[in-house]
Amino acid sequence: MAAPSSGDTNHESGKHEFALDIPFPSSREAVIALQSLSPDREPRKGGISKQLSVSGSKLSVRWSADEARILRVSVASFLDHLSLVVETMVMFGPPVSQ
Amino acid sequence: MTVVIGFEGSANKIGIGIIRDGEVLSNPRRTYITPPGQGFLPSETARHHRAVILTVLQEALEQAGLKPADVDCVAYTKGPGMGAPLVTVALVARTVAQLWGKPLLGVNHCIGHIEMGRLITHADNPTVLYVSGGNTQVIAYSERRYRIFGETIDIAVGNCLDRFARVIKISNDPSPGYNIEQMAKKGSQYVELPYTVKGMDVSFSGILSYIEEAAHKMLESGQCTAEDLCFSLQETLFSMLVEITERAMAHCGSQEVLIVGGVGCNLRLQEMMGVMCKERGAKLFATDERFCIDNGAMIAQAGWEMFRSGHTRWKNDET
Repeated sequence: MAAPSSGDTNHESGKHEFALDIPFPSSREAVIALQSLSPDREPRKGGISKQLSVSGSKLSVRWSADEARILRVSVASFLDHLSLVVETMVMFGPPVSQ
Repeated sequence: MTVVIGFEGSANKIGIGIIRDGEVLSNPRRTYITPPGQGFLPSETARHHRAVILTVLQEALEQAGLKPADVDCVAYTKGPGMGAPLVTVALVARTVAQLWGKPLLGVNHCIGHIEMGRLITHADNPTVLYVSGGNTQVIAYSERRYRIFGETIDIAVGNCLDRFARVIKISNDPSPGYNIEQMAKKGSQYVELPYTVKGMDVSFSGILSYIEEAAHKMLESGQCTAEDLCFSLQETLFSMLVEITERAMAHCGSQEVLIVGGVGCNLRLQEMMGVMCKERGAKLFATDERFCIDNGAMIAQAGWEMFRSGHTRWKNDET
């Protein structure tokens, strides 16, 4: 699964931003991933925020952080979690018909 | 017939179990064991669980002879426990619940232990002593809720034992507590340690500091052996636990004791508690290492109770 992404510093707000878009085989599976990944808060209370959303069969994640290293930790952790969810879907999917 | 699959991973054990109306169909488990002298940290523990969880899930289904369609509900440990490992397990539980189209229930780890203890032993309304690496509480059920009558005001009794094991560098395989128990059997000298019961509660961090220092001094000078220290520590800690359990029993007018949690495997603790129960004409209940130690089936059992009492709404909140 290709994951085109981009990171940048927003020169107006001074915040570091990162964007990740992950295509899924179907909208249903993108929503399943969203529901699995969205409930847990960032362990670090301040300095980072993350938004998840689904559009079509694509899961989108947007980060905004005060410092580059905080951003890096959060993104790395998210990718770990995402890969576990995807592996689970591969091994125990496809989703049953609703 | 109601089939529930339970996911547990709040500490260094990752277990997935399946229960069908009180019958344990499968209960595979893996333990993250660190080298002697080392404890387990959240990130490494999460990594361990992540590496094996899908294999253990496969085993749970195979050993039960079931397909996902046969499962009625997915239960997982919501807390308490270590954050990173809990999240690893929650991710898989949430995902399979959605893939299979089943309700998802977040279970309290402590209640999992209690419900499993009650199922296995058929204890009716016991005073529960819940003792593990992460918890030390005396619990009784009153007016629709489990209530804490006494507890540790600092660290858990299992934590005290595990950290002492690190000081004397004994193996963590299969668990530090088990190895302390075996060494204690060979102890012959009782070394006096602080005894810190505080009313209905207990405190262990002072005893730990004391014995850590004593270990360095006394082992070096040959005043006593490591076995003597293991023996003395168990006698002290367990006497304290028996005392607060008895206090709660007197308060509640209870005639049954149920010991749950990993430290509940300890036969010396069971023996000492048995003596107190006999004196009071009470009955003692305990389970073996399959169910004392963290496991998935206990979460499934608590989930089964919740599911049957109407908790069927998907509550997707944070772990």
